[in-house]
Amino acid sequence: MKKMFNIISKIKYAYIFSGTLTILSLIFLLVWGLKFDIDFTGGTRMQIQMANNLPSNQEVTDTLQDLNLKSLIVQPSANNQVLIRYASEDDKVNQQAFSEISAKYPGAVQLRVDYTNASVSQELKTNSLWAIFYAVVGIMIYVAWAFRKVSRPVESWKYGAGAVIALIHDVLITTGVFSFLGHFYGVEVGVPFIAALLTILGFSVHDTIVVYDRTRENLLKNSGKDKFPEVVNRSLNETLVRSINTSLTVIITLLAIYIFGGESIKYFALALLVGVTFGTYSSIFIASAMLVTIYNRQSKK
Amino acid sequence: MTLKKKLQIKFAAVILLALVVGLLSYPQITRKVPKLYNIVSKPKINLGLDLQGGIHMEYKADTSQIDSSKVADAMQAVQDVISRRVNAFGVAEPVIYATKSGNENRLVVELAGVKDIDQAKQMIQETPFLEFKEEGQPDQTNQIPQDVLDQQNAEAKQKAQDILDRALKGEDFSQLAKDNSEDPGSKDSGGDLGFQKKGTFVTEFDQVLFDPSFKDGEVYPTLVESQFGWHIIKKIEERGDGDNLEIHAAHILIAKKTQPQPQTAFVSTGLSGKNLKGASVTYQSQGLSEPQVSLQFDDEGTKLFADITKKNLGKQVAIYLDGQIISAPTVQSEIDNGQAVITGHFTLDQAKELVQRLNEGALPVPITLIGQQSVEASLGQISLTQSLKAGIIGLCLVIIFMLIYYRFLGLIASVALLIYTGIMVSIFKLSGYTPWSITLTLPGIAGFVLTVGMAVDANILIFERTKEEVRRGRRILNAVDEGFKRAWTSIRDGNVSSIITAAILIEFGTGFVKGFAITLIIGVLVSMFTAVMISRTLLNFILGDWIENKMWLIGVKKKDTNLNEKNV
Repeated sequence: MKKMFNIISKIKYAYIFSGTLTILSLIFLLVWGLKFDIDFTGGTRMQIQMANNLPSNQEVTDTLQDLNLKSLIVQPSANNQVLIRYASEDDKVNQQAFSEISAKYPGAVQLRVDYTNASVSQELKTNSLWAIFYAVVGIMIYVAWAFRKVSRPVESWKYGAGAVIALIHDVLITTGVFSFLGHFYGVEVGVPFIAALLTILGFSVHDTIVVYDRTRENLLKNSGKDKFPEVVNRSLNETLVRSINTSLTVIITLLAIYIFGGESIKYFALALLVGVTFGTYSSIFIASAMLVTIYNRQSKK
Repeated sequence: MTLKKKLQIKFAAVILLALVVGLLSYPQITRKVPKLYNIVSKPKINLGLDLQGGIHMEYKADTSQIDSSKVADAMQAVQDVISRRVNAFGVAEPVIYATKSGNENRLVVELAGVKDIDQAKQMIQETPFLEFKEEGQPDQTNQIPQDVLDQQNAEAKQKAQDILDRALKGEDFSQLAKDNSEDPGSKDSGGDLGFQKKGTFVTEFDQVLFDPSFKDGEVYPTLVESQFGWHIIKKIEERGDGDNLEIHAAHILIAKKTQPQPQTAFVSTGLSGKNLKGASVTYQSQGLSEPQVSLQFDDEGTKLFADITKKNLGKQVAIYLDGQIISAPTVQSEIDNGQAVITGHFTLDQAKELVQRLNEGALPVPITLIGQQSVEASLGQISLTQSLKAGIIGLCLVIIFMLIYYRFLGLIASVALLIYTGIMVSIFKLSGYTPWSITLTLPGIAGFVLTVGMAVDANILIFERTKEEVRRGRRILNAVDEGFKRAWTSIRDGNVSSIITAAILIEFGTGFVKGFAITLIIGVLVSMFTAVMISRTLLNFILGDWIENKMWLIGVKKKDTNLNEKNV
């Protein structure tokens, strides 16, 4: 038989590690928050291809001075491109802004223009929060239902709770990482980030379910000779290779998107990458560990 | 039917499926057989605007002026009008539809392959919004209270008096003018007005200037008040006499604040472009005069216009085009034949263009752009190339990983994965022939690449289980069966959670998310089929006792299978 790792005995370290990361993420979020992009703040983002040499940021800012654009940010980017963002209430401003630029720099082309009115961004914000809420509730109900037949020694809803704690952990850490990236590298989060979070929710639970599934199977087979923590540990060991390999294939594809997929989906892939990595970790070390912790508490009573 | 026969049929079906989706996904392979090529290369993937370039616009329609029962009709009319305009500009397959968000009526316009974003936007927004307005209460909002005005003027007069005192004491007049004069025309030249004849200036000014007792080089000793303000006047010299008398003077003006003219505010009458039947270019009486635009109203419009003209006899009725007043004729008589004329100092071309635009249809409700995503075609092409490259690299890496780790089983999984890819591409291509056409977007490709990673998950689960069973001493075929059976609940339960989140993402509705979620959900469903059904059929058909002596092919060491006393 293959060597068995005593994962459950290392719970303490996993809790310390995850606890630290979760608290750090919470601190990041409280202190720095997230840097929202125009999906959530409203405004305009314009990517412009310059015909000749790239003007300095100051030159571009001066060109747009007459329009009194609020929170104007000018960023140079590769291949003589420049990225302009500003808060805007009316689409007329966008046309004026570009006509000022094309008057000063003939041959400039608008490669990409995203404009979100405040009412739309407000709607997106509300929808995002609801989507996350529904996803968490839906998954909780589903896990409780899927494990309804297992009620001893740990009740089925506690599996659901364990899975949800693990996915809150994954989502919090991912958000924390983006708070950090936002503060130091100006990485912004918009609708794609929310999509990534929801996907992480699904993936994290998917992983957890596979481990729980094996626990369920082993519990049903187990005639009571092994204690619950041992059953959980054995199940973890049996699914370990699968958990790691599955995540590896997903991580491989996400890395391919991150590296080769181009600017517009780079951070989307990164969010998924962080979430999937922690999702795998948490399904091994947190979700099952929660079951054992819950069991130990019950038996102490 | 024997079990073996059943298996053979299944295997043949898989091969056939693989062939069909292979040809559909990569029709280039049949290029040498033109007949076949023509068929299989016909279905095309419907690319999203972010991959082929284009503009997605979301408009808010202001339906507050419209009776709620007519809103649906009005929205339909807006769609029709915009369709006509867009078609006139030759955009291929524009997508135009009305949506609702809460109580807000919205209109989505998607134009593919548009090169010039601003021009595209203009061809929609320049759709004229024609409206007739009548005089309302004069606008009082810009009125200044009289006491404030008096106070300001008292101060201005005092200032003027001070400057006069300084000028009389001999300070340089032109310098004083430069520093203080509020007459923009003469200020910079030191107040110099040049030689002027009598009658050039306002009466109060003239009277003083042409007063014979006013000598050359003098500053007039008192302030002269006119409608413009207070003048300090200096006579410089005079020439000529009688009717030809011209006086060279300079002045300093301290302006007087006056009450702004109350603006005539026009209010909506309910008569707008939606009541228009037609428009044409006509000429006032003779052919030589300015062109004008004649309007013919429909029945409802005729009635409305008759009411308006009757009510406003002797008053102005203003014609607004896109919120700009273009003419405000005074009503001479009630007009009940439903005809109106716009005279707006048009050139012939302007009149023709306006008529054309009016005939194409005026928007029944005003619309405002509230959201826009546009991608230039070249950038879309780059995104497409990059994301496809990422996809192919991802696919290859996953296959390499599977081959190294699971060897023969990995090969089967890779074949299943390629069939999976083929089915996905075919679904995208063939969906165009169904009512559920799927558009492939950039996030959609990302979702697809992600599902490639996830699709092998089911195989990994099964193979790990199979290896376990082999180690426990089962014979290989038996172990494969057991692996599929036992892994199935995990595969099913795990994928349901992905489907739940994907379904919520689709509900969420925004373009980016939708494209991603739809591929994810299709991918999860298809991969369950390919990873379970297809790889099982392949394995059952190919595997046999021959593998018992080559266990390294599935990555299990021979000695492991025999050392299982504990579990046997």
